Amino acid sequence: MDRLKTAAQALGVALDDAHFAQAMDAQDPLGHLRDEFEIPTVSQVTGEHALDAPCTYLCGNSLGLLPKRARRVLNEEMDEWATKGVVGHHHHSEGRPWISYRKQIVEKMAPLVGAAPIEVGVMNTLTVNIHLMLAAFYKPTATRSKILIESKAFPSDHYAVESQIQWHGLPADALLLAEPRAGEATLHTSDILRLIEQQGDQIAVVMLSGVQYYTGQVFDMEMITAAAQAKGCIVGWDLAHAAGNVPLKLHDWNVDFACWCTYKYMNSGPGGISGFFVHERYALDSDLPRLTGWWAHDEATRFEMSNCFAPNRGAAGFEISNTPILTAATLLGSLDVFALTTMDDLHEKSVLLTTYLEYLLAKHVSEHVRIITPSDCRGAQL
Amino acid sequence: MDRLEAAAQAQSVALDDDQFAQAMDAADPLGHLRAEFEIPTVGQVTGNTGEHADSLCTYLCGNSLGLLPKRSRRILNEEMDEWATKGVVGHHHHSKGRSWISYRKLIVEKMAPMFGAAPIEVGVMNTLTVNIHLMLAAFYKPTATRNKILIESKAFPSDHYAVESQIQWHNQPADALLLAEPRAGELTLRTSDILDLIERQGDEIAVVMLSGLQYYTGQVFDMEKITAAAQAKGCIVGWDLAHAAGNVPLKLHDWNVDFACWCTYKYMNSGPGGISGFFVHERYAQDADLTRLTGWWAHDEKTRFEMSNRFVPNRGAAGFEISNTPILTAATLLGSLEVFEQTSMEDLQEKSVLLTTYLEYLLNKYAGQHIRIITPSDSRGAQLSLLFATDKFDAVFKDLMSAGVICDERKPNCIRIAPVPLYNTFSDVKRCVDIIRAALIR
Repeated sequence: MDRLKTAAQALGVALDDAHFAQAMDAQDPLGHLRDEFEIPTVSQVTGEHALDAPCTYLCGNSLGLLPKRARRVLNEEMDEWATKGVVGHHHHSEGRPWISYRKQIVEKMAPLVGAAPIEVGVMNTLTVNIHLMLAAFYKPTATRSKILIESKAFPSDHYAVESQIQWHGLPADALLLAEPRAGEATLHTSDILRLIEQQGDQIAVVMLSGVQYYTGQVFDMEMITAAAQAKGCIVGWDLAHAAGNVPLKLHDWNVDFACWCTYKYMNSGPGGISGFFVHERYALDSDLPRLTGWWAHDEATRFEMSNCFAPNRGAAGFEISNTPILTAATLLGSLDVFALTTMDDLHEKSVLLTTYLEYLLAKHVSEHVRIITPSDCRGAQL
Repeated sequence: MDRLEAAAQAQSVALDDDQFAQAMDAADPLGHLRAEFEIPTVGQVTGNTGEHADSLCTYLCGNSLGLLPKRSRRILNEEMDEWATKGVVGHHHHSKGRSWISYRKLIVEKMAPMFGAAPIEVGVMNTLTVNIHLMLAAFYKPTATRNKILIESKAFPSDHYAVESQIQWHNQPADALLLAEPRAGELTLRTSDILDLIERQGDEIAVVMLSGLQYYTGQVFDMEKITAAAQAKGCIVGWDLAHAAGNVPLKLHDWNVDFACWCTYKYMNSGPGGISGFFVHERYAQDADLTRLTGWWAHDEKTRFEMSNRFVPNRGAAGFEISNTPILTAATLLGSLEVFEQTSMEDLQEKSVLLTTYLEYLLNKYAGQHIRIITPSDSRGAQLSLLFATDKFDAVFKDLMSAGVICDERKPNCIRIAPVPLYNTFSDVKRCVDIIRAALIR
C-alpha cells in the first residue's frame, strides 16, 4: 500500500483517479509483456456489443490467456507432424525432437517453482499426478495411515485422496481435514501446526493446496513442510493456484512432492499438461516404488525393450508415457514468456495490482462485499 | 489373395506389375480419403534435395505415428482461436458448438462405434499406460488365492512395467506376474496354448490383459475366445488395444470385455502423444461401488460444480475421467474421428487385407530368401513384421529411408511395415518392395 501511495503522490494524482491507473500502466516495467498475449475483445467474449476494445480479463486463475508464442510453437509442431511424421521424434526442424521434448520444458519450468530441472516433470493432468505421487509416497501403516488436506479443498483433491484411502482398504477417518475456526473461512497457520503437532504421528501424508482455490489464502509452505516432516510425515503440495502466481522454493523447503496444472497462471490452454516435482533426495532412489511405464525407464536403454525396469533419475523416472507434444507445445511457448521476467518481478507487480484492487473495493463497495482473502498471505486472487 | 488375383486377371496385368498397383489405386473405393491427410514429401522426411524431393513420401509407419488429418489441423486451430477470443468463456459458449465442458461427448459418440461399444462405455483421458493403471486400480483386486495378472511374454515394455508395478503396489510377490510364452522356436502365441494356460491357472488369475494386437509380431489375438475363457474362470479381462484401435474391427461390448485402453496416435492419427481412449463395459455403468481412483471430473456432471466434496460418479466411462478434458490434445482426435466417420472399420479392413496381402505377396516373391515374415497370415491387422538376416538389415533400412519410404525398425533385425487403408496406396506398397528388392541385390 505504501508503494501505491508513494506512486500516487509522485504522480500528483489521487489513488482512486483513472489517471492514476493510466500512469501506473505507462510506467509498468512489465507492461510490454501484455503484447505477448492474445486478448479477447469485448464483443468476442460477450457476443453482444460491437466493441473491439480488449476485454477486461481477470480470470487467469481459471484459464490463462493464449500466449502468441504458444500459438506459434503449436503450429510449428503441427507442421512438423505434417512434414516429418514419425521422423519428428528424432529429427526436428526447430531443434525440438519430440523424444526429448520434456527436457526443454522442465529446464524452463524448474526455476518457476524453485527447483532443479531433475526435480521437475511434465505429464497428464493435476489430479492424475496426485494419484501417481500418492501411489509412490502414501504407504500407510497400522499406526500412521492418515492424509491431511484442508476442509473445503478443491473437490478433485478431496475425491482423489478419499479414493486413495479407499484403495488401501482404510476407514474413512484416515481422511483428516484441517478445519477453520467457527465463523472463519481461512485457516490459521498456528492451528495447522498445532494439528500436525497433535496428530502428526498418525499422519502419513500432508497435502494441502499452496493457494486455496476458494479463499485465495496462501499457506506457509515452508513452515508447514518443516513441521510435518519433523513428525515423520511426507509432505506434498497441490500448487494448482500457486504455480506461476507466487514465488516458490520447493527444493529449499524440502518439499517431498508437488503437482500443479499449467492452464491457470501458466497459460498453457484448456486442460494443458500438468507439472510435478519430486525432491532431489529421491532422485537416485530407484527403490522408491511407483506406478510406472516405458517412458520412465532409463532413456539410455529404453528402446532395448528388455522388460527389465530401471528408472530414469529424478522426476523423469515418474513420467509414465511419451510426452503429449501438442499439449506440451503451448506450455513451452508460455514458458518462453516467463523466461522474459522472474517470479519475483511478477510477484512485485502482482502485489501492486491486487493491493490496488483491494483498496478500490474497500473504498467503493465495502458495504456490499467482504474480502475473505487474507491481506498478508495471498497471490493475485481476491 | 484370391481377390488380388481376380483383380489382376480382370485388368489383364500381372500381379507384380506396376500397372496393377496403379489400377488398384484407381479403382479403390476409399482412395478419396488419402486427400484428407497431410503427407510429407520425400524432401521433407529425408532432408535431401534432388529430383524426387517434391514427391510425396511412402509413409508406411502409421502403426507408430499416424499422419495429420487436415480436419485435425483445422479443429486445433479453431480451438486456439476460441481460447484467444473467448478465454474461459469457451467452456460454455463455444463459437463452433463444441463447448469445452462437454467436449468429451463429441468424441466418445464418434469413437465408440469403432470399438463396437456404446458411447456410455467409452472415455477419453491421459495416455495409454496411465489409463492401464487406472483400470487396474479399479479392477485388479488380488486375494490370497487369486492374485495373478496374465500378459504376454515380450509384451510392449510399458505394459510389462505397468503390470509389474501394480503387483508391487499391492505388495504381491513377483510371481504374480504371469507371462504367456510362445513355444520354443516360435514367436507368436497359439490361441490353444493361451486357452490351456487359462484353463490350468485361471483360478489364480485376477486379471488377463493381453494386447489385442502384438506390437512386435503383429499377431491379432482371438479376443472373443480368450475373453470368454478367462471370464469363465472368474478372471477380469482387459485388452491393450494400442495397435488394434483403428486397425481392426472390434466388438468390445459383445465380447463382454471388462475394460480396454488404447492410444490414438497410431492408427487413429491424433498426433504425437495424442489423448488416450478407454472402455469400461456397460455392466459396470451403474456400479457406484466399483472403487476407482478419482477426481472432480468423474463426479456427476449435474452436481459437479456444487463443490460438495461428496463423490457421486457419472454413469459409465465418464465416471472414470478424473480431470477436465485436455482440449488441445482432444481436438486433433476429434478431427481424425470425422475422417473415420466417412467409412467403417469393416470397409477399412477390407482394403487393409488387400494392401497387406499384396505386400506379403511381393515380399515373398522378391525378398523371400532374405526375410522371414513373422506375422501370422490368418490373424493380423495392417502390419507385417519382417526379420532380416542381420548383415542385410542396416542396408535395407538405410535405403528405404533415403528413398523416403518410412517404416519402423526394431533392432537388431526387424522391420515393421504397416500400409494403412486410410491413406496408403497399392503403389506405396509396390514402391516399398521395389526399394527392398534393390537393396538386397546390391
